[in-house]
Amino acid sequence: MSDKSLHRRGRTRRQFLGDSAKITAAGALAGGFPHIARGNDGIRTIGLAVSIINEIQGKASEDLGFSIRGQALGYGAMVGKMLNQNDQYEVAEGYFNDMDVMIPSKVWQPIDTQRIPEWEKVTDLAKTGRLTPESKPGQGDAPFRHLWLDADGNRVEGPSRYISMLPGWHNADSLGYNPEETGRPIESWAELFSEDFAGQVALLNAPQIGVMDAALGVEGLGIFQFGDKGNMTREEIDFLIDFLIEKKEAGHFRAFWETFGQSVNLMLNGEVVLESMWSPAVTAIKAEGVPCVYAFPKEGMRGWHGGCAISARAEGAALDQAYEYLNWWLDGWAGAFVARQGYYMSVPDNVQKHLEPEEWDYWYAGKPAAKELPDPYGTIIVPEGEVRDGGSYWDRFSNIAVWNSLMDENDYLVERWTEFLNA
Amino acid sequence: MANHAIPHHPGLIGTGPGQAVRRDGDASGERAGSGAATPAAGARVRRSHPGGHAGWLIAPATLWLFVFLLVPLASIFVFSFFTSTGHGMAPEPTIKNYVDYFEVEGFFDPEARKFLKPSVFLSTLGTTFRFALTVMALCLLVGYPIAYFLALQVQAFKWQLALFLLCMVPFWTSYLIRAVAWLPMLGRRGLLNRALVELGIVEKPVSFLLYSEFGYTMALVQLYVVLCVGPIFFSLAKIDRQILEAARDMGASAFQIFREIIVPLSLPGVAIGMIFIFVMLMGEFASAVVVYGGKISTVGTVILNYYTFANYPFAAVNALMLMVAMMIGVIVILRVVDIRKQL
Repeated sequence: MSDKSLHRRGRTRRQFLGDSAKITAAGALAGGFPHIARGNDGIRTIGLAVSIINEIQGKASEDLGFSIRGQALGYGAMVGKMLNQNDQYEVAEGYFNDMDVMIPSKVWQPIDTQRIPEWEKVTDLAKTGRLTPESKPGQGDAPFRHLWLDADGNRVEGPSRYISMLPGWHNADSLGYNPEETGRPIESWAELFSEDFAGQVALLNAPQIGVMDAALGVEGLGIFQFGDKGNMTREEIDFLIDFLIEKKEAGHFRAFWETFGQSVNLMLNGEVVLESMWSPAVTAIKAEGVPCVYAFPKEGMRGWHGGCAISARAEGAALDQAYEYLNWWLDGWAGAFVARQGYYMSVPDNVQKHLEPEEWDYWYAGKPAAKELPDPYGTIIVPEGEVRDGGSYWDRFSNIAVWNSLMDENDYLVERWTEFLNA
Repeated sequence: MANHAIPHHPGLIGTGPGQAVRRDGDASGERAGSGAATPAAGARVRRSHPGGHAGWLIAPATLWLFVFLLVPLASIFVFSFFTSTGHGMAPEPTIKNYVDYFEVEGFFDPEARKFLKPSVFLSTLGTTFRFALTVMALCLLVGYPIAYFLALQVQAFKWQLALFLLCMVPFWTSYLIRAVAWLPMLGRRGLLNRALVELGIVEKPVSFLLYSEFGYTMALVQLYVVLCVGPIFFSLAKIDRQILEAARDMGASAFQIFREIIVPLSLPGVAIGMIFIFVMLMGEFASAVVVYGGKISTVGTVILNYYTFANYPFAAVNALMLMVAMMIGVIVILRVVDIRKQL
């Protein structure tokens, strides 16, 4: 390694120390405790329950021969820990929509793609935003807009040797509905505001994502056009929130859900007939015998993309192990595991090796299930002959309308969203 | 004047006048000269700490509170004056966070849509306050008769205890379970709706029961009413029955006895119960999500929303203002009822 890059690294670390001094006490505020000495056996990884699953980190530990301890957190706690306590993890299983916070704070180190042997196999979805040559990249925090860095961790126009996060699991969300109650197929986000379903609609109660679904609905109605739904101006936020307040005061929304379980129960209990939803929730509702369909709106779906980042504090053996763990994710076993929950992985070719042909056809290729298919734990969740909603992986990700995003006006958005909830 | 001599005496250690603890028992001479109200207090305090090393006894608690309460509180206060950088905070002092908290664009502009409208954060606090007051009133309305029955109508001590424990049964399960339990009760396909439809009172299920102000208030009353039953019960149980008999002998009506004797003597219990409920309600945010379906914003969710994307200074301002509101509420309650005098 050249002197120059050593120097650079040193500066980065000093810079970070400066930052961390400012927020040491913030760590105490967030419930953190002084650094607990850890053995040099293995690494720690943090993230959401989407990717931090005992079976996954357990299998990785087994395959790699060192321990990988996962900690699943709620969203707020996860972002807080990633930002303020990067000495408490080596790997961060984060999301590309948080990059406007993560990249400038330099809590993660740039990942050197030359240490990722399978990098070539990672699809263009994350690299250029186009899974197929014809696909639209979509507005907002698409991975390719936050992927490329220089050796110092500053953004550059891609492609480059260094990346912010190794692209991993992802999905596209839309609306779930009960076809018996709606009486018609739902083919547009505009249906969120249809009078036919007044009082029987739910939105996700996270300002950053809730407004996105609402914006797609408003555009679907044809009453407003946003410049960039992934980065709205104050005027656009005002228009949207005023519209939502009017709807809320008319009693249009039944509830705003915060957890996966809530979204499932709302539909199971007949409280709503149409709501913004994550795809595994649809599976869970159908498993209970209640009809539920995942809509494939003509405006396109709302995408999100996770991946693995490495803490700026990881060095030496721990850094090597972190890279080993990242490469292990690209091997395909973990991708096959999350595929059975309905998520996609950035290396479909490798995932295919770990799925049975019938599983591949159903989860990725959009074909009818040739036989009953299990979830990752062996419970049968897909009956024979069923077709996955939303078509094949390539259909779905060729038509992403917008990606989950953190807007420049996030503070203003939260303020207005609070006002909306209080209305 | 003499009353004040006790709490401020150097031989007494305590964090507040109400918690004065006597280090030794040699102050009897002074106590004799300290007026009518203090002998009782002095005697009670001395009984609980017979000549011990009270200072050492409170040292662990003091240390604990200092490290885990005062230091974090002080940091929150300091952070509230920091500048948000969009991905954390910088120690550049500013009052912008407070200005943003209170000020609304166009507040003094008669043309503006928001003319004379409080800021979103103040109105969130206001909504929380409004719910707190409603729920406190309902808890008193429901809780006082329960406590009254237990303390004054039930004669045998063992029955009093048994029934009191019965009141506590809901507290044996977790808070969240008690909140979630309202869903199958109040939902569109819930028990109540089914009963209403079966009985022919309504034609089809009504939706105002759940995810509504009505359901939310009901749930909160059920969740917190026991917090006031306990203290009121103890206040009422302490009333000397002979006083009530004497009043009756002197020709007081039942209502007069209630108004002139029972109510004043139970006020400390009411105040303590109301403080418990008030403080819990101001910090409440879980049942707003579960029972109100997130259709209302609470100070807790506002703090979390700003904390999540690293605007710590503004989250700190919200946290501090919540605390100030709580303190004002508690002070008001203590002003209305002077607990020390009543006890």
